[in-house]
Amino acid sequence: MPWDLDNDRPIYLQLMERIQQDIIAGVYAPGDKLPSVRDLALDASVNPNTMQKALSELERSGLVYSQRTSGRFITEDETMLKKIKLDLASEHIRQFFEKMTLLGFKNQEILELVQETLEEDK
Amino acid sequence: MLGKLIKYDLKYGVKIFGILHGILLTASILGRFLFVNKIDFNADPEIIFSSVSPFMALYVLLFTSVGLGVAALLCVRFYRNLFTDEGYLSWTLPATSVQQIWAKIISGTIWYVLNILITALSLIILVTGNNVTEAYAKIAPEMTNVLGVSLSRYSLIMLVFSLAGALSSVIMIYVCISIGQLFPGHRILGAILAYFILMVIIQVVVLGLMIIFNLFPGPYAATVVIEAEASHYMFAIFKLSGGITIVLTIVEYFIMHYILNKKLNLI
Amino acid sequence: MKPILECQGLTKKYNNFYALSNLNVTLERGQIVGLLGPNGSGKTTLIKLINGLLTPTNGHVMINSMAPGPETKKLVSYLPERSYLNDHMRVEEILSYFSDFYDDFDAGRAGIMLKDLEIDTRSRLRTLSKGTKEKVQLVLVMSRDAELYVLDEPIGGVDPAARDYILRTILTNYNENATILLSTHLITDIENVLDRVLFIQNGQLSLNTTVDEIRTNQGKSVDTLFREVFKC
Repeated sequence: MPWDLDNDRPIYLQLMERIQQDIIAGVYAPGDKLPSVRDLALDASVNPNTMQKALSELERSGLVYSQRTSGRFITEDETMLKKIKLDLASEHIRQFFEKMTLLGFKNQEILELVQETLEEDK
Repeated sequence: MLGKLIKYDLKYGVKIFGILHGILLTASILGRFLFVNKIDFNADPEIIFSSVSPFMALYVLLFTSVGLGVAALLCVRFYRNLFTDEGYLSWTLPATSVQQIWAKIISGTIWYVLNILITALSLIILVTGNNVTEAYAKIAPEMTNVLGVSLSRYSLIMLVFSLAGALSSVIMIYVCISIGQLFPGHRILGAILAYFILMVIIQVVVLGLMIIFNLFPGPYAATVVIEAEASHYMFAIFKLSGGITIVLTIVEYFIMHYILNKKLNLI
Repeated sequence: MKPILECQGLTKKYNNFYALSNLNVTLERGQIVGLLGPNGSGKTTLIKLINGLLTPTNGHVMINSMAPGPETKKLVSYLPERSYLNDHMRVEEILSYFSDFYDDFDAGRAGIMLKDLEIDTRSRLRTLSKGTKEKVQLVLVMSRDAELYVLDEPIGGVDPAARDYILRTILTNYNENATILLSTHLITDIENVLDRVLFIQNGQLSLNTTVDEIRTNQGKSVDTLFREVFKC
């Protein structure tokens, strides 16, 4: 199944985000080996060179590391994973607040609405 | 590479060629046993003539059709394989244009030569019945006198001459199709026109040379053609047209080579 | 390493019409390149020149620093926009034809792909549908270990499911030292598999850049940019 990609942003960035997402969501555990560039590219239906670039960028960020002969692995640095998870969370929260503000809610009102939704769900 | 190209050219034609010549041989065998063997040469010549002439006409038509069929086979293979959609594959094979040309020339000549040999064989089958040879024996000295050589020798010379002409006939077909492809949109028409123009040129050249070499029959001819010299006259014409054919074939080859090398434009 | 493809001042004139005029482009190895342009812009003319099916009016085209000839034809695997196979042949005969003529043809790979597509190798080509014939041709072309693949409209005439299979076939068989040049007008479908795009307009190159550069600098997809550039 090709990955769902937007049309207006660089593809490699979206590939990075998707792999990051998968790592944080636990699709890959810390220390796991990533599939090969070719397999990932085929899975995503994208150009292998673009996938290669996305993985190199992830390597630069430290989220994955490569071992010369045996491939790429997910970092075992739990603090880093946790930090990325928090970064992503705050990014989502920020976007959420932006949208609610556009709808005309004040911060306090947004918090109350969140609270209410949570209680309803229980 | 050349061998592989020839292999596929021959493979392409083998079925049609086999069917055409199968018909030819079968018809000749049937004609020999169902018709020729039953002719009574002691009968009234008029009766013989009236029954033999439609039979001969039929077989001349058959031989000509098979010959045209072979020519058509060469035309279709050359044209389709090099100038239509199939040409997109043929011309992207790792072969040079010279190899492509020679594959077609050699495979075409093989078909042509085989056609001549099988046609000759068919003729032999038709006319070697005892009644025919016995009838011929009576007029043989007269014929030998007219031809200058015995009929069998004469036939052999004709056969060798046709075989030698095979290559030039094949190249002639190809060069016309190659010239035709210079006119995108009217390729087949161009090829047919090229053929007629080439024929006119050949006729004019032959005529001119015949006059120059004093071979033209009629008031210009210095030698009066008498019966006994008919064969000498024929052989002189053969030599002349042989020479013309060799020169012409070489010219045609280079025209074809130039077109396929420099002017190849598949649309 | 020498560039796989180089065009310098490449010009092709038909009567009074310039199908290509003074085209200059160089392609390096190891990328998938989209050749994009509206109908009649010169895409197919360029492709035929690369394959030696046309002779240039001016300028030259070089593959691995060689003019088109037997040596370059060993390196280039070409898929034309039409059916170039002899209709009377059986699929298996065509496989041996390719094995005979191309040293880099991998008959095993072709066999596997044909089996995946459930194409009977004993069937004659003329009994197959148009779409199936196109797939057979693509299988043949992608089963070569070529250095340059030139695919003219590989996804033009097939349904979306077949399109996906074709793109997967291209991606699966692609090796990182080879270059694929593919022409199409269905940009959205292939945008994600391209490294680079060439826009060709009235026989001239109007853009030569990477997909991600377009997206980074312009914030839009190649498809959107194409529609803007070639607005009627």
